Amino acid sequence: MNETLPPTRTKAFEARLKKRYAAEKRFKMLGLSAIVFSIAVLLFLLATMTINGIGGFQRAELKVPIDFPAMGLSLNGAVEDQTEAERRLSGQGLREVVQFSAEEALGEDAAQHLNSEAWRLVAHDIYEEPGMLQRQEEIWLPASESLASAFAGDGQTDLQPLAKDLEERGVLADRFDVGFLSRADATDPQLVGIWGALKGSMLTMLVTLLLAFPIGVLAALYLEEYAPKNRWTDVIEVSINNLAAVPSIIFGLLGMAVFLAIFPSFRSAPLIGGMTLALMTMPVIVISGRNAIKAVPPSIRNGALAVGASPVQVVFHHVLPLALPGILTGTIIGMARALGETAPLLLIGMRAFVATPPSGFTDNATVLPMQIFLWSDEIDRGFVERTSAAIIVLLVFLLLMNGIAIYLRNRFEKKW
Amino acid sequence: MSPVIPFILALGLGLAGWLVARARAWTFKRAAPHGRIAALPAYHGWYAALWIAVPLLLWFLIWTGVSGQLVLSHVLASPEAQALPDFGLRRDAMLIEARNIATGDAVRVLNEESYALAEPFRQAMSRYNIIGALIGLLIAGAGAAWAFLRLKPDFTARTRVERLVLAALLIASLVAILTTLGIFVTLVFETIRFFGMVSPIDFLFGAQWNPDPMSTSSSPDGDRYGAIPLFWGTLFIGAIIAMIIAIPLGMMSAIYLTQYSSRTLRKWVKPALEILAGVPTVVYGYFAALTIAPAIRDLAISLGYANASSESALAAGLVMGVMIIPFVSSMADDSIAAVPQAMRDGSLAMGATTNETIRRVIVPAALPGIVGGIMLAISRAIGETMIVVMAASTAANLSANPLESMTTVTVQIVALLTGEGSFDHPATLAAFALGFVLFMVTLALNFIALRVVKRFREAYE
Repeated sequence: MNETLPPTRTKAFEARLKKRYAAEKRFKMLGLSAIVFSIAVLLFLLATMTINGIGGFQRAELKVPIDFPAMGLSLNGAVEDQTEAERRLSGQGLREVVQFSAEEALGEDAAQHLNSEAWRLVAHDIYEEPGMLQRQEEIWLPASESLASAFAGDGQTDLQPLAKDLEERGVLADRFDVGFLSRADATDPQLVGIWGALKGSMLTMLVTLLLAFPIGVLAALYLEEYAPKNRWTDVIEVSINNLAAVPSIIFGLLGMAVFLAIFPSFRSAPLIGGMTLALMTMPVIVISGRNAIKAVPPSIRNGALAVGASPVQVVFHHVLPLALPGILTGTIIGMARALGETAPLLLIGMRAFVATPPSGFTDNATVLPMQIFLWSDEIDRGFVERTSAAIIVLLVFLLLMNGIAIYLRNRFEKKW
Repeated sequence: MSPVIPFILALGLGLAGWLVARARAWTFKRAAPHGRIAALPAYHGWYAALWIAVPLLLWFLIWTGVSGQLVLSHVLASPEAQALPDFGLRRDAMLIEARNIATGDAVRVLNEESYALAEPFRQAMSRYNIIGALIGLLIAGAGAAWAFLRLKPDFTARTRVERLVLAALLIASLVAILTTLGIFVTLVFETIRFFGMVSPIDFLFGAQWNPDPMSTSSSPDGDRYGAIPLFWGTLFIGAIIAMIIAIPLGMMSAIYLTQYSSRTLRKWVKPALEILAGVPTVVYGYFAALTIAPAIRDLAISLGYANASSESALAAGLVMGVMIIPFVSSMADDSIAAVPQAMRDGSLAMGATTNETIRRVIVPAALPGIVGGIMLAISRAIGETMIVVMAASTAANLSANPLESMTTVTVQIVALLTGEGSFDHPATLAAFALGFVLFMVTLALNFIALRVVKRFREAYE
């Protein structure tokens, strides 16, 4: 009986252990690299949009000195609005004045590359500050699309020397374009803006909020507080969960077949868009609302009932105020999703070219993501930058909304 | 009439009713012995306000629908309308324009003839507006009378008001059923109309997708509506390429975050991954079309693949996969967290390394939850629209080559419905049939996923 037990740490064992540890390391690295890859894609996406988009907030502008006193323009008497001022100044030959001044300052071949709408900007400036007509002014005016793309380094090659020359003289530069945030869509990338789409988005979101929030909260209250457990409430519950999973484009089909049939004259109005998105957002609010209501401890309800409150008073005086921060968090997240949604709006016709910002819920409008989609179809390089700039604005809005939701969650989170 | 006016009217009358009824209830209260009546005065106020405002609003809602038709028939009976073209798009456009002029929404219009129609429109509208407002006032008055006659010291106003509140809650939750029903009925109705023109066999099993919106609706070519290439494209982009990206990356991220990472890293990485899910799909679509698709094309060309297209299934699928990563990872995260710690500790105590524990114990135990999550991810991917609309093409292609251009169900829905087709053309109706298939498939996937997750949850409770 002198059998020796083999030592535990044989060579084969050591080799196997090494292999196992190597596998462990590899696995861990694999996990880390998955995360690194995902974050890298996110950063790459954000960086691409930012680098492209920074240029979108700028536009190529030419410096044109205009000697107003010498031109004999006047804007006397009461001017009701900008259109009126524009009309009067145009009658006095403002367009020719701008063209002539540009030719004087930049040379004849450069002046024809002033944007054809540049004089309207001058008219706008004069309307804002009529005192300008008494002095000499140097005004930066947008260049034409072809000069702008030549300045950016592509487009017509024969224009590039001219652009370079003007740049060296200091009369052509990329300048921050304030108007990008205050204008609406246009056909010329030098003249487009996102205010129209932004306003359309706000109006649409307002309709969505006004419909989805009350309905969602009331439905959540009913299901969580009053609903008897029977087949009907099961059906309601199942259909809410199903609606949360239905692809958004299906809501577009519904909006198209139902809402557009009822209100055919409000095609591409924020009203219809908001109604369609409300159907999509409502289930999100119901689901998050139910969770928030569930989190309110029963002792609160029992306490209120004990001092004689009716069930409705318990809910509206005690449960709802306590659950509200949670409901609001869910609502903001749902609204953020609705803000970025494009597909259903594409189907109900909010893809029209809208050159004036909507003034009401029934006007033709477009929304921010739709504007991005429409511009992405344009082949012009100018539009590529503008699209990225619009994406930056959209992302900033979304981050803001999500930030508010996170703040609310942290501020009002309670452990009972 | 602007929709704001009846709203303000209802609010104003309701408020008046509220004030008067409350004041009346106070007189009861003062006169009552011990100052006790059956309900607080404010509830009497609410009772009256609801009886005034709710019927009024309901009436205006109904009247908006009815009066539109009445106005139209009135206008069509007028002598000016005899000059209208018989039917078709132009007639509709002119009617809408005339209405817009009459309401002051439009100043200038395309069709000169619309101006003549504006006057009858204006007359008819003001006439029916007055009728509607008068009937509305009558209804509000009747409601007020009903409410005020019932106000007595022993009237239990609170119970009545609360019953109405409960009814409102119930109605709010019925909206979900109505929406589901609306979706279902719309899709089924239009799909049946479509199958009246094109046989379901041709649609479901045909391999040629080439609808022609210009063809006359009297002779639809059934063999142009074979949806197999679309189903394949959807499956290939959404369920194959996207999942090849999303499943390993999402799973590995979840495993790393739950098993290996430090608390601080997890605190930063999880929200960062969630941002990935919050980026609007139109931004992903733009990213795919602008950056990824050209890069893939250039890469393919440099590798010697001659006819690479700039709209490839690969570009759309890759970007969609990235979008889905956080979805898979958070589902996997949840189900891994649900595995009891004892199982993990037991495996480690037996001498297994962490990755052996993960692969042999934790993932198998969490598998039903993970599978459920993947199914939800697939259902989301095949319903995704904007990425494929912008990065995939509209050319139906039955091929397994990811560098070929391909189209999906959602792309075709958009393509068929954004044209200028009429509503009874098979090309338009085909979009609803496709929507119906998409709806049923995503619902089925969700249903299965929820079932799987539910069953799994029971195992450890």
